[in-house]
Amino acid sequence: MRAETLKGHLDGLLLAVLEAGPLHGYAVIQAVRAGSGGAFDLPTGTVYPALHRLERAGLVRASWSVVGGRRRRAYQLTPAGRRALAGERAAWQTFATAVSALLDPVPTPAPAGP
Amino acid sequence: MTASQPRHDPAARRVLDGYLADLAARLPGPDRARQAVLAELDDGLVDATEVHLAAGLAPVAAARAAIAEFGDPPTLAAAFAPELAGAQARRSALTLVRTGPLVGGLWLVALAASQAPPWRHELTGVWVGLPVVGAAVLTAGLATLLVVAATGRPSRWLPTRPTLAPAAAAAVGIAAVVVDLAMLGMLTGQAVTGPAALAWIPAAVAALASLTRLVLAGRAARRSLAARAALA
Repeated sequence: MRAETLKGHLDGLLLAVLEAGPLHGYAVIQAVRAGSGGAFDLPTGTVYPALHRLERAGLVRASWSVVGGRRRRAYQLTPAGRRALAGERAAWQTFATAVSALLDPVPTPAPAGP
Repeated sequence: MTASQPRHDPAARRVLDGYLADLAARLPGPDRARQAVLAELDDGLVDATEVHLAAGLAPVAAARAAIAEFGDPPTLAAAFAPELAGAQARRSALTLVRTGPLVGGLWLVALAASQAPPWRHELTGVWVGLPVVGAAVLTAGLATLLVVAATGRPSRWLPTRPTLAPAAAAAVGIAAVVVDLAMLGMLTGQAVTGPAALAWIPAAVAALASLTRLVLAGRAARRSLAARAALA
């Protein structure tokens, strides 16, 4: 799927994959890829800066740790991040319901007899 | 399991290091923030390389595949630019504001030690420029608040224009330049028109502090304007 299509939903997707627990940057990318059945293969260049933006906004908290001799930076949701995720979910439901109502195929009326 | 760890394969490691060096040369911002970004990407690249190794690629091919996934250095650097420029703007504005009490204090001492401190009488002579200094200090303070807001939590509720923080940081620098130029100008005027009234040693110390900051603030303003232009 094209990156532009996802624009505007990226923050929500990132918050959603962090809901279950902390992940580091590349694991976030893999979680989005796996969670969308491979449909969303996010360009790495958008994910890391987006995570930093969410951190600046206080929606996620990042912490460095050393795992197996490697420095890793893990991200986890803050309470404000959980609230923002709930907001994204509600907004998406409203949007999806409205789009479905318009785009779903309507049963074609039976052709009128001659 | 050494074979599945690309950091133990020198050739694969060289491929990743070359990529990170190329990226490092393109990332703007303060050193610490850039180093943190590079360390994080390094870790991610190793993860990605391991995924490709596990899929059966040879180490160097796996490292190249990881790099392809992360994107070319100019694009990746451009994606990080707004955040790093924000970090730079925040550091620049806060550093300049912190010099305020010191430089201001030195000037207060110099003026208090002079024969006729300007606040003891109506503003006359060369000291009529003091309100300009007050306005510039106020501007610097407000612009710093804007930088802090744009690069911190309140950014959630602010328009997400990445040029806002560098522009506000440039305003802080320009305001500091105005303060220092005005103070040095007034001091020069006083030295010409009524040198006897000056307490020379504290005045020289304050002038030296202002001169130093003038250079730093000018440089900071130029850098912030360049960062803003690069993002626009």
